[in-house]
Amino acid sequence: MQSSPHGSVPAITANDLRLELGGTSAPVSILRGIDLVVPGGQTVALLGPSGSGKSSLMALLSGLERASGGSLVVAGEDFSGLSEDALARARRGRIGIVLQAFHLLPTMTALENVATPLELAGRDRAFERAAEELAAVGLGHRLDHYPAQLSGGEQQRVAIARALAPDPQLLFADEPTGNLDSETGAQIVDLLFARRAASGATLFLITHDPALAERCERVLEMADGRIVSDRLA
Amino acid sequence: MQPARQGWRVALRLALRDFSWRFRGLRLLVVCLFLGSGALAAIGTLDSAIRTQLADRGQAILGGDIEFGVYGRAASREEMAAIASLGRVSSGMRMQAMASAANGSVSPVQLKSVDGRYPLYGSLTLADGRKVGAPPPGSAWVDRGVLDRMDVAVGDTIRLGEAQVRVAGIIGNEPDRLSEGFALGAPVLVSDATLARTGLVQVGSMAQTKYRVALPPGADPSAAVEAFDRQFPTGGWTSRTRDRASPGADRLTGNMGQFLGLVGLAALVIAGIGIAGAVSSWLESRRGTIATLKVLGATSKDVLRIHLLQVFVAALVGIGAGLAAGLLAVPGLALLLKGFLPIEAGFVIDPVALLRAAVFGLLVALVFAAPPLLASRSVTAMALLRARIAPPRGLWRKAALPVGAGLAAIVALALATTEERLLTATFLASAAGVLGLLALVGIAVRRLAARLPRTRGGLALRTGVAALDRPGAPTVALVTALGFGLAAFAAIASIQTSLDAYIEGTVPTRAPDYFVLDLPRDRAEPFRTAVQEKAPGADVRTVPSLRGAILAYGPRDNLTWVSDLKDIPEGAWALRGERGLTYAADLPDGNVVTQGRWWPADYKGPPLVSVDEDLASALGLRVGDAITIALLGVERQATIASLRRIEWDDMGFNFVLVFSPGAIDDAPHNLSASVSLPPGQQGGALLRYLVQWFPTSSVIEIGGVLRQAREILSSLSVAILAAASVTVLAGLAVLLGAVAAARARETYDTVILRVLGASRGQLLGALVLRYALLALLLGLIGLGIGAGTGWFVIDRLFEFPFRPDWLVVLTVTGGGAALIVLAASLASLPVLSARPARALRSL
Repeated sequence: MQSSPHGSVPAITANDLRLELGGTSAPVSILRGIDLVVPGGQTVALLGPSGSGKSSLMALLSGLERASGGSLVVAGEDFSGLSEDALARARRGRIGIVLQAFHLLPTMTALENVATPLELAGRDRAFERAAEELAAVGLGHRLDHYPAQLSGGEQQRVAIARALAPDPQLLFADEPTGNLDSETGAQIVDLLFARRAASGATLFLITHDPALAERCERVLEMADGRIVSDRLA
Repeated sequence: MQPARQGWRVALRLALRDFSWRFRGLRLLVVCLFLGSGALAAIGTLDSAIRTQLADRGQAILGGDIEFGVYGRAASREEMAAIASLGRVSSGMRMQAMASAANGSVSPVQLKSVDGRYPLYGSLTLADGRKVGAPPPGSAWVDRGVLDRMDVAVGDTIRLGEAQVRVAGIIGNEPDRLSEGFALGAPVLVSDATLARTGLVQVGSMAQTKYRVALPPGADPSAAVEAFDRQFPTGGWTSRTRDRASPGADRLTGNMGQFLGLVGLAALVIAGIGIAGAVSSWLESRRGTIATLKVLGATSKDVLRIHLLQVFVAALVGIGAGLAAGLLAVPGLALLLKGFLPIEAGFVIDPVALLRAAVFGLLVALVFAAPPLLASRSVTAMALLRARIAPPRGLWRKAALPVGAGLAAIVALALATTEERLLTATFLASAAGVLGLLALVGIAVRRLAARLPRTRGGLALRTGVAALDRPGAPTVALVTALGFGLAAFAAIASIQTSLDAYIEGTVPTRAPDYFVLDLPRDRAEPFRTAVQEKAPGADVRTVPSLRGAILAYGPRDNLTWVSDLKDIPEGAWALRGERGLTYAADLPDGNVVTQGRWWPADYKGPPLVSVDEDLASALGLRVGDAITIALLGVERQATIASLRRIEWDDMGFNFVLVFSPGAIDDAPHNLSASVSLPPGQQGGALLRYLVQWFPTSSVIEIGGVLRQAREILSSLSVAILAAASVTVLAGLAVLLGAVAAARARETYDTVILRVLGASRGQLLGALVLRYALLALLLGLIGLGIGAGTGWFVIDRLFEFPFRPDWLVVLTVTGGGAALIVLAASLASLPVLSARPARALRSL
C-alpha cells in the first residue's frame, strides 16, 4: 500500500481494487489491484497511455463503476458492495465530475444544467447557487443559453460549474481539455484549478499532458491496469 | 434516503424542464394515442348518443311505449280489446303511394294516417311553428321535399288515390320520423277519414296498420308485448318497445356497433405497438442524457420517474387531442349513418365514454411503454465512457409483472365495458396470437440471418443480412410493427373491395322500370292495355300479392312453432314478421327447382308450397314437410312440394313461398306488377297516366329506389372505411415510425462504413435489399392476416359475401411494402448524402 505523502484525512482509500469486464465467459482484466490513498484537498494527476486503465480507475473512484474486487472508501463512504443506485446517492453532493465531451443536458439551459445536481441532492436555493457558480466561471451572462448556443469552452465552463456547484469534497476531471483548442484549454485549466482552490476540493485529474500533470501536487502513472509510478510534483 | 414524495417532486421538475414540447422522439406515441383514443372516444360517444336518445326519446321516437303493427288489415275486435286494455292507444296506417298535382307533376310519398290522439308522445310541429295533431279532414301536412318536387305550395291541392287533398302545412318536426324507417318517399300526413277517402286502403292492400300504446306509469312494455304475442300468436303481428325504437335496421346497427368497437380495439393494439417502438427508440436516443443524469447523482428510480412522467405528459396531450377529434368526428359519423341509426346528428358529449377512452389510452400507453421504461433503468453512468455492445439481457423478467398486470387491466376493462364479450375476447385473443406469430417470425428472421454465411456475397448482401442480427438490432420489433402495418393495409383493401363488389352485386344494373302495388285483380287487363298504349313494347308482368307470416314448419307430426323459438336460426330472416306471398301455376321466371317437383299447371289438389332452398336449408326443411302460415289472421297449412333456387339479384318478383293454385287465392288480395320499358324509352308519360287512371295503386319508380339503395349502401361503405381508416393511419404511423427508428439505430454503422470507403450506392443497395426482403416476407404474412381480418369483418360481422378484388388487395399491400423500402431509403438520405467527416461528427 502506498501511503499519502501529506498524511492528512484521506479522501480516497483503495485497497487491491480490481475491475474485470466482459462477463464470466471471457473476462478481461482492466484494473489489476490498485492500492491508493489520496488525502483530502490534494490535487492528483493521473497519466498513462490509452488503454492503461486511467478512465476505468476514475470511474471506480468516482462511483460510476462498481469494482470487481478490493475495497474502496471515498469521502468517508465505503463504496465496496454498493449497488449502482446506492453509488449514485453516494455521489450526490460529495463528488463532482467533469468529462472530456462536456456531457451537458442538451434540453436544459446552462442554469438548469448546473441546478440539476443540486436538486437531485435535495439542496435548497438550487437556482441561486447555480447562478452564483456560473457567475464564478464567467458565465453570468449566459444563464439562459442552451448548450448548443455555447462554444466548446463555454460548455466546459458550465460543466465545471455543474461539478462544483454542490460544493463536493472530490472533483474528478477526465481529459477536460481534450475537446478544446490549446488556448481555450489553457483557460479552462486555469479556471479549473482556481475554482478547485476556492472550494478546497480534492482534485483527481486524468490527462495525457505531462505539463498539465505537473500543475498537480501529485502525479500517478498507470500502465496495463496498474499504478506504476506515484510521485509528488 | 430521500422520501418518495420529494423524489417525485424533483423528478417532475426535471421531467418538465427536460421535456421537448415539440414532442421530439415521442411524436409517434402522441399520434398513436391520438388515433387510438380518438377512435374510442368517437365510437363510445356515438354508442352512448344512440342509447341516450333511445332512453330519453324512445317514447317519442316510437310514438308510444309499444307499437303493434300488422299488414293488410286492421285489428280484430279481440285484438283491439287486448291492445286497448294496455293503455291509451293511437292508431294509423302507413303505405306507399303516389301524389300528383294539377300541373302534371307526380311524387312518391309515404302516406301516413293518424288519429286524433296522435302524437301520444312528443309534438308534431309545422314549419311555421304551430304545434298540431292530425290534419283537418280533406287536408294534409306535407314534407317540404314533396312540395318542392311537385312545385306546389301550401294552400294548393294534391291528389292522393281518388281524393283531392289540400296542403294545409309543411311538416317541421315529426316526432316519430326516425322510427318509421325506410320509405320510398317523403311523408304526407292525413287523418284516418281522409285516408279512407283516397280509396287506397282495401283488404289485402300493402298497407301497415300501426297501434301505438302509452302505458300507465310503471308498466313493463316487454311483458305487455309477450302477453299479447301469447294471446295472438297467429295474427302476423310485429311489435316494438320504446327501448328498441329503431326501425328494422337493428341487426345492421348492432353489427356496425360491433365493428366500430373492434376498430377501436384494433387502433389501440396498433397504437400499443407503435408506443412500444416509439418509447424504445426515444429512450435509446436518450442514453447519453440518462447516463449524464446518473453521473450527476440520479438513481435508476429517478430516471424511471422522469421518463415515466414525460411519457405521461405526452400521452395526456395525445389522448386529449384524440378525445377532442373524436368528439368532432361524431356528428360526421352520425350523418353518414343516418339511414341506419335512430339518432339525429349533433354534437354530443358523454363524459363516461370520454373517460373510458382516456383510461384505455393511458393504460395502453403505460403498459406498452413499460418494458422500454424499465429497461432504461439499466443505462449506467458508464454509458458516457464506454460504448455499448449489446443491450443487457433478462430485462423482460422485470417488466413481466407490471406489463402483465397492465394487460390484464386492459382486457378486464375491454370486457367490462362491452356487451359483446365473446367477440371482444375473440378479437383480443386473435390480436395476441397475431402479435405472437409476428414476434416468432421476427425471431426466425434473426436466426436465419445469423446462420447465413457472412464471408460470401457482395458487400450489399452481406451487410444487409448481417444488420438483421447485429447486437441490439430491433429486428423483432421491426417485423412486428411492419407486419401489423401491412396487415392493416391488406385488411382495408379487402374490406373496401368486398363492399364495392357487394354494392355492385346487390344493386342491379338491370331491373324493371316500375313496380305497381295494389293493382286490383279486375283491372289487370286495362292495366296491360294502358301500358302498351303509352309505352309500346314494354314488358308487363303481374303476380298475385299477399302478405303472411310463417307460424310453424317441419314434419307434419312434429312442427316447430316460430313463437317457441328463442332465436331466429341464421339465414331464416323470412321468419321475422310478415313476408310477401304468392301463388302460381307455373314456375316463376329465373327460378330453378332443385328438389321435388313443380305442380302441374292445372293442379287442383291439397295445398302445396314451393320453398326457397336457402330458407329450407336454414330450417332443415325437406320435401313433404309442412308449413303453416297466418294469412289475414287465418291459419293455413301446405305441404312442401319442391325447393327452388331464386335469383334474387334481378330485382324481379321473387317470393320465398309460392303456393299452388287454390291454396291461398281465396283470401282477398291484389296484384303487383312490374313494367320494363324498351331500351331508351322515357316513362314520364306512362307514370303520369298510371297515377291518374289507377289512383288506388302505388307506382314506384325503380330508378329512385336503386339510387336510394346505392346511396344508403355507399354511406355504409364510407362509414366503414372512415372508421377502419383510423387503424390504417395508426398502422401507417407505426410502420413509418418503426422504419425511422430502426434506421436511426443503424446510423452508426452507416457512418462508419462511409468512413471506411463504402459508396452511397453500396450502402443504399444493402439497405434496399434488406428492407425489400423484409417487406416481401411481411407483405405475404400481412396479406394473410389482413385478408383473414377482412373476411371476419365482412362475412362474420356484416354477413355480406367476402369477394375482395385480389388485384387491388395485392396492389395496396405491395404499395405498403414499397412504402417501407422508400421510407427506409429516405430516412437514410441525410446520413448517406453527408460527407463522411460531417456524418462522423454527428454521431
